[in-house]
Amino acid sequence: MKITIDQNKFNEGLSIVGRASSKSITLPILKNILLKTENNFLNLSSTDLEIGIKWWNLVKVNKEGELTVPYHSLSSFISFLPSKKINLNKKGNNLLLECEEYKTQINGISAEEFPIIPQIKEKEKVLIESKILCDSLLQLIDIPSLTKVKPEISGIFFLFNKEELKIVATDSYRLAEKKIILKKDNKSSFSFIIPQRTARELVNILKEVKQDIEVIFGENQILFRIKMSDFNHPYIELTSKVIEGSYPDYESIIPGKYNTQIILNKDELLNKIKAASVFVGKINETHLTISPKKGEMVIKSEDADLGNYNTKIKGRADGEEVNISFNYRFLIDGLSNIKSSEVILEFVNENSPGVIKPVGKSDFVYVVMPIKK
Amino acid sequence: MKKENIWESVLAQIKLDISEASFNTWFKHTNISTLKNKRAVISVPNTFVRDWLQSKYNKTILKALRSLNKDIKEVQYTVNPSIQQVETPNKKRKREEENNLNQMEFQNLIIDSETGLNPKYTFENFVIGPFNELAQAAGYAVSENPGSLYNPLFIYSKTGLGKTHLLQAIGNKARKRQKKKKVYYTQAQKFISEIISSIRNNRMEDFKRRYKDVDILIIDDIQFLSGKEKTQEEFFHTFNDLYEKNKQIILSSDRPPKSISALADRLKSRFEGGMIADIDYPDTETRAAIFKSKAQEKDFFIPDDVCYYIAENIQRNIRELEGVLNKLIIQQKITKLPIDLKNIKSILKDINQTSMYSLSFNKILKTISNFYDISEKDLLGSSRKKEIVKARQIIIYFLRKELNYSYPYIGKKIGGRDHTTVIYSFSKIEKDIKRNEDIKEEVSYIKETLASA
Repeated sequence: MKITIDQNKFNEGLSIVGRASSKSITLPILKNILLKTENNFLNLSSTDLEIGIKWWNLVKVNKEGELTVPYHSLSSFISFLPSKKINLNKKGNNLLLECEEYKTQINGISAEEFPIIPQIKEKEKVLIESKILCDSLLQLIDIPSLTKVKPEISGIFFLFNKEELKIVATDSYRLAEKKIILKKDNKSSFSFIIPQRTARELVNILKEVKQDIEVIFGENQILFRIKMSDFNHPYIELTSKVIEGSYPDYESIIPGKYNTQIILNKDELLNKIKAASVFVGKINETHLTISPKKGEMVIKSEDADLGNYNTKIKGRADGEEVNISFNYRFLIDGLSNIKSSEVILEFVNENSPGVIKPVGKSDFVYVVMPIKK
Repeated sequence: MKKENIWESVLAQIKLDISEASFNTWFKHTNISTLKNKRAVISVPNTFVRDWLQSKYNKTILKALRSLNKDIKEVQYTVNPSIQQVETPNKKRKREEENNLNQMEFQNLIIDSETGLNPKYTFENFVIGPFNELAQAAGYAVSENPGSLYNPLFIYSKTGLGKTHLLQAIGNKARKRQKKKKVYYTQAQKFISEIISSIRNNRMEDFKRRYKDVDILIIDDIQFLSGKEKTQEEFFHTFNDLYEKNKQIILSSDRPPKSISALADRLKSRFEGGMIADIDYPDTETRAAIFKSKAQEKDFFIPDDVCYYIAENIQRNIRELEGVLNKLIIQQKITKLPIDLKNIKSILKDINQTSMYSLSFNKILKTISNFYDISEKDLLGSSRKKEIVKARQIIIYFLRKELNYSYPYIGKKIGGRDHTTVIYSFSKIEKDIKRNEDIKEEVSYIKETLASA
């Protein structure tokens, strides 16, 4: 293998694939990344056997070939180089690098040893705008937790219908659903669950790109593909396992009606709940009293040692008075992911889930269970 | 040689030739799933392993297999994600959320969507005492031999004494014994709303199909069918259908079949056709044992004398015991006071005060009017119809017994009646309760409703 590549480009590629390279010591080859020429492209791949990331770039190829080298040494060294051309040359199992006056050799392992990132048998394919998918995932990516026996809800659920994509996450205490209108009508509806970590890596990649992303669903696997802006060739591919099992019937959790509703200024509310959090003690309990007649909500918290807190917030309300308690953290998590300046809170009664949603848009809903009285 | 043994021996051979790291990465969690027609199918945890074994170890595996069984000509790989280990939970976060035991969860997420059962209810954590022995034994027997012993099994008790726990435990146990058995648990209210929406959307056929092929049908709180004629009719057909096919039916209610008002006689007689078992109020010792086992489930130690003290003071039902336990745990977390008799007394005082229900004239009137389906106006009016008179007498009984109103005052409150009428009515009901089972049941049901409202 003999190629020439820009330092900038190489650095970019390394930082993208590096996220999947494993830190585990059980299988040393996983700490390496694979460099491989494919016609006029250099392909970098890394995997930890759960997810795999591939990246391509157009380079000058003098001689084809492939090799794996330790990711950490390669990427930290490349980041020190000037933004000039770098010559890569494979000699035996070693990689020789030349950039201006730098001459380096990094010891590698034969590409034969590197795991194969599985090819996907394409069943379904959808195109989504990267920025929208990225922003949507960020609204609920932190919700799932691995504490539950049920592995299905440790991931993020994607449900494609004809015209829209629903993304859902829950940890059994709260649940968020985000809707994205698809650019093109979808032929069939299908769904899958991706691990939370896959979603995190996906968000990291999406932050950097402008092109649309292809979501390709196959048996036991999911592939996210971004194509190059100027060629019909893949630019980045993220392959991941999907979580086996069917996602619980989450729609029945979202209350269909309410007895109390109040519309409040989001930033003011967020600030007042954060202030309440000073006095919640160990059990994180914040009390809300919504009085539609007075058009206000009272926020209270108290702790035997610390003291107590009491404030009001004015809003437009209707329905019955309700007295309900929540874990303040769950409220903050929901509110801080609402994009509108005003927010709607809805309640059925003190022992039923509360709903938080934006004003003016119906694309996001956050449902949270109260603390029992 | 059995296929499992063959695979074990293949693994042993391969282990000798490759590094431990590679072995653990590629061969751990692999299995042989089928071995026939000269073809061995190996199940692997993920696609990475499948592709790797296919391209790198296929020859080695085939050779090793053939050395044990000459007939094998081909190896295939199939992905079976369920054999992979589940990721270990994040302990730190778990502790944080468990800080507040009253934090509620979405029930629908825990419940098995296929059977409607909650896996946390099992026979193992069902405390047995003289009060529920019969029901438990009958339930256990049914879970082992569904459809053949007691059909239907009808369990009744007052609220909060473990009906739902027992019903679900039967379902979970039967399902564990025979994975293929189709178990379906539902609550009568849900059953009713399913029927209503099926009728409205013209999808009655779907509804019938769903219930036709279950092996064990469990319906909780069947008393809610009272007065719902169309639902009763549908349920009657479902019941007969399953019964004829020797499918197990398990029902629960808050009173025996004959006391469920506005229930068709043909249903009553069917409910009585199998085994009827009731769960009584637990005695103090059993309540203490239940309290202790609930505390243990939550990894919380409570001394025996405290358990006993609580059991003596919380007499109503088991659900209430659970509430006290949660309160105790939170109190203990906040105050850090040791759990002993002295502290427990002050905590219980608090709880008892808040759980004292406040009764009023209006509440009694409303509850009884709902129960007998007679309007409040009629109850306070002058009609001498038999049913209305009876309901009116029961109101008088409650006003005297629970609110301790004077006879003349009661007379004034219920439409200006003479105090002698009131005295007569009160003593009549008091006598009836002793003589007539139906009246006794009705009164105690109204009492329950009043207490829980």
